[in-house]
Amino acid sequence: MNKSRVPVVATMIALALMAGMAGAQPDGAAAVADEFNRQLPMWWFLAPLCSIIALGSAAFFYRSMMKEAEGSPRMKEIASYVREGAYAYLRRQYLVVGIFFVVVFVLLLFMAIGLNVQHYLVPFAFMPSGFFSGLAGFFGMKTATSAASRTAHAASQSLNKGLRVAFRSGAVMGLTVVGLALLDNSIWFLYLYKFHHTIFGGEPMTMETITMVMICFGMGASSQALFARVGGGIYTKAADVGADLVGKVEAGIPEDDPRNPATIADNVGDNVGDVAGMGADLYESYAGAILAAAALGVAAASTQGLSSEVMFNYMVAPAILAAVGILASVVGILVVRANEDATMTTLLHALDRGIYLASALIVVAAVGVVMILGLPWSILWSIMIGLALGLVIGKGTEWATSAEYKPTQNIAEQSTTGPATLIIGGIAEGMLSTWIPILAVCLGMMSSFALAGGFTDLFMGLYGIGIAAVGMLSTLGITLATDAYGPISDNAGGIAEMADMPKEVRERTDMLDSLGNTTAAIGKGFAIGSAALTALALLASYVESIRVGIHREAAAAYTAPAPTGNDIFHVKDLGFGKFGVYIAGSSGSETENRLYTVSAIQTKSSHSVRLMVDEGPRAGEVLDLVIADLGHHARRMNLVDVEGNSLADNRASLDDFMIFYNVTLTNPKVLVGVFLGVLLVFVFSAMTMKAVGRAAAAMVNEVRRQFREKPGIMQGTETPDYARCVAISTAGAQKEMILPSFLALLVPIAVGLVLSVSGVMGMLVGTLCAGFAMAVYMANAGGAWDNAKKYIEAGHHGGKGSDSHKAAVVGDTVGDPFKDTSGPSLNILIKLTSIVSIVFAGLIVKFAPMIGQFLGIGY
Amino acid sequence: MEVRFYLLCNRYEALVASHLDPESFGAYMAVGNLRQTTGEEIFIEIDPNKVGDAIDMEKARESCKPHREGNPRRSKYISVYRALERIPVESMMNLHLVTRDGLTLALEGQTLEKEEQNGPHMYMELSPAGALIVSSLAPKGFVQFITNLQNPVSYPKVFLVDMLIDTDKEGKLASYLPYSHPDHISECLRIVSDGKKITKTVDRRPNVGSFYRTIRRGFYVGNGDAMKFYPYPSKAKLDEDHHRWWRSASLG
Repeated sequence: MNKSRVPVVATMIALALMAGMAGAQPDGAAAVADEFNRQLPMWWFLAPLCSIIALGSAAFFYRSMMKEAEGSPRMKEIASYVREGAYAYLRRQYLVVGIFFVVVFVLLLFMAIGLNVQHYLVPFAFMPSGFFSGLAGFFGMKTATSAASRTAHAASQSLNKGLRVAFRSGAVMGLTVVGLALLDNSIWFLYLYKFHHTIFGGEPMTMETITMVMICFGMGASSQALFARVGGGIYTKAADVGADLVGKVEAGIPEDDPRNPATIADNVGDNVGDVAGMGADLYESYAGAILAAAALGVAAASTQGLSSEVMFNYMVAPAILAAVGILASVVGILVVRANEDATMTTLLHALDRGIYLASALIVVAAVGVVMILGLPWSILWSIMIGLALGLVIGKGTEWATSAEYKPTQNIAEQSTTGPATLIIGGIAEGMLSTWIPILAVCLGMMSSFALAGGFTDLFMGLYGIGIAAVGMLSTLGITLATDAYGPISDNAGGIAEMADMPKEVRERTDMLDSLGNTTAAIGKGFAIGSAALTALALLASYVESIRVGIHREAAAAYTAPAPTGNDIFHVKDLGFGKFGVYIAGSSGSETENRLYTVSAIQTKSSHSVRLMVDEGPRAGEVLDLVIADLGHHARRMNLVDVEGNSLADNRASLDDFMIFYNVTLTNPKVLVGVFLGVLLVFVFSAMTMKAVGRAAAAMVNEVRRQFREKPGIMQGTETPDYARCVAISTAGAQKEMILPSFLALLVPIAVGLVLSVSGVMGMLVGTLCAGFAMAVYMANAGGAWDNAKKYIEAGHHGGKGSDSHKAAVVGDTVGDPFKDTSGPSLNILIKLTSIVSIVFAGLIVKFAPMIGQFLGIGY
Repeated sequence: MEVRFYLLCNRYEALVASHLDPESFGAYMAVGNLRQTTGEEIFIEIDPNKVGDAIDMEKARESCKPHREGNPRRSKYISVYRALERIPVESMMNLHLVTRDGLTLALEGQTLEKEEQNGPHMYMELSPAGALIVSSLAPKGFVQFITNLQNPVSYPKVFLVDMLIDTDKEGKLASYLPYSHPDHISECLRIVSDGKKITKTVDRRPNVGSFYRTIRRGFYVGNGDAMKFYPYPSKAKLDEDHHRWWRSASLG
């Protein structure tokens, strides 16, 4: 078989498999016939199969790239400097992150076993999700740093060959991210759904528990992403600013000149920021979107009282959509190619063609998914809305940042009156540019909510939004490929310059590089948009985690007496409006307690049940309660209240939790939470920017030192100490990323413990809204300043060296940490606060009321 | 060690003896020994045998001795005042243009065979003064005019460069030209075009960023009829044949 056809054949096999399945409606007996020996429908295996196809395709593209010649000895030498720098960074990064993971593992273990506020699997799953995310970053970096010189060499043969090598190398990152994320997801689901209870005994996990436990797994990926984004962002800008300010401005050395000691660190930084950082960011978004949508699907099916078979379908639909997205992405990647006489526009169209084709294929495949899984047709709308949203946000970002359009040209024009007006112009255009993604997300949110029937069934609407997020990210395999392509072509251009390659090669790599700048900006918009949608889905999932947290607390207090007569349960007041309703039979183990427990909260809602409290401060009172959750055995008991109403029919809705925790705008805790969320965004942004300033200062001093102490560098008779600059950037990034990262991790927990659930909800809303707007503003303002400078360099307003250009350089320097450090890091902040809140929900539910009472601010 | 002579002639003038070849001397002058950047530099290599009696070149040669440890002497200043006027044009060899980071491009001199049509033109005087001037006179005429000692404003000898004044469709200076006050330049050009003045000073102390990007035909040095022209290669040729220098010179 021709090896170049391998991904095509694999994709066709998977599509054929899907087509074969299309005729077979899932049989209830086949899907969940035996509760204990759970059977999985054949179509479920599409998810792990496609994840393997993604990884296989990535491996194929990687091997194809590695077979390309690396070029001249000089090209090899430069590439090896960058590769060694990248590995040095990764080693240090993984060491710091490894220590962090061990500490958090112990903390989660203590929460699970010592405090009993966490599922005991969460600490164990936290590690692999972080590991897989890190692994995706490692493979991405390995590929990118090997691909740059090969791209430059391929460009010496033809433009199309250069494009294909660079783009398919970028695809390795895209496909590795989606492949590992879906594989991790599939393995854990398979284990929790089918094997956990058979290995460790007990009852099979409910689908609610599976989804909530799996969402907690996301914290590993989120933490890895946070460090990758913040650390990578600081690294890349410290190196960039150091290289520019000393090398270019002070010494007058051109870009990518081997005499600049920071030039290798700058090239490493491109990979660290836009490959490893972006990959970890989107890995987390991708996994988070699938898991949040799955949790909302289960909640939606549960509140509608749908069968476990349908609930299963709702739960796995996001993963199946992601799976078909992988196949579509592979096809899309394969069609990207360019003609020899390609212009910038035709190159962009070549990439667009791949993305549009992938999107169209997903829509077609989604029709099959909806039919096979028996989902409501409204879900198809959500998928299409998500896909459209991705494209709209991407194009909106292009409009806001590309020099082809008015906003950037306006900024460039303002350079003629100096740096101050240019900065004002950039800030204004950046702020204004938020309207496209924010209105697009609002429109997408409302329409996917409404079309999914959210105004009559809240969870179904939220499920629609969750599916829209999955739809948007379903093309991630190819969109991330276009993103990772950027630094590869950028590095290729650098190598072409440093290795003194012929003019036509430099022109080709310049063209590929220009395209990469545009796709990188689009990728940033896509990442932010997907973060907003994912965070919204996670916000709804947070309420589900509160439900689980209350149930876990109730189960931990299990004190069931032996049943006597009709009194088959025992109601215990746990304080702060929480109650445990216990039935006899538990062995006393943590798992068993949960199975025999019904958790409840006090309410005044119409669908409450009335129960007499047997134990605790309010013993003897008959109270109106709604059921937070029912343990597995408790569900089978058909328990009724004093008036004969079924407990199982009166589960608390999302509104009940909102009322119970007084999540209303008149509650100052909510408003304070909102303010704190907004404050978190601003303080986090400030910390990351100051971190860049400090790290860059260290780099500036080092480059100056080398020039001062090694005069031969400028004359080309002495080689700069590249490794020292790489080490300084690495050390600076690792040191400076600690504080902002811990801020992001600790604030949600602190807010939760002091202001309880209402405060956390407020904080999440504040972080989401302010973070989304701020991230878009920073990314677009930074991108526009960068391209305004390039626009001037292309010969407008005086061109290079003019006063306008000097003003634009100031704008670009200001915009660097905007667009490459703080802005992208906010993506993670938005999602991480949600994930941390979800993971620590049990702790908040249990201890926040006590702290609130102690502080006299209610509970 | 061979002693070479260089005439520094960018905004100030000095005759310097050195053991360095032009490339090394250019790098040294631009970058310094301890990375003390001094910026772009322009100098002409001088043939000492053709200087004549105006300067004692033999004495100058003897004064340029290696350092005690045997290292070559990088620069021995021979004259820092009225050097240009005392050095005959026929002794001027290659012109060297040095970028801020010390890369040197050598230009060969030639006689100006064909005079251009009259202006307007824009010249930047590089030595002995450093003003930015517009004039209706073509280069040769302008050099003759400015070195005519009968004129109240004149120099014994001048070194200057003619600069780009490309215009766009609307008649404004082209957007790629990095001049600080393009409207003022346009106004000055209009004045000399209208014949109201032969020459007009645009700026007494111009600060032109990306200077090497603004050069039109080349550099002129001389007085009266003794004139040398150093043609400046086209941008395409510079990018093709002197890529590293051009990237640096154009702030690539």
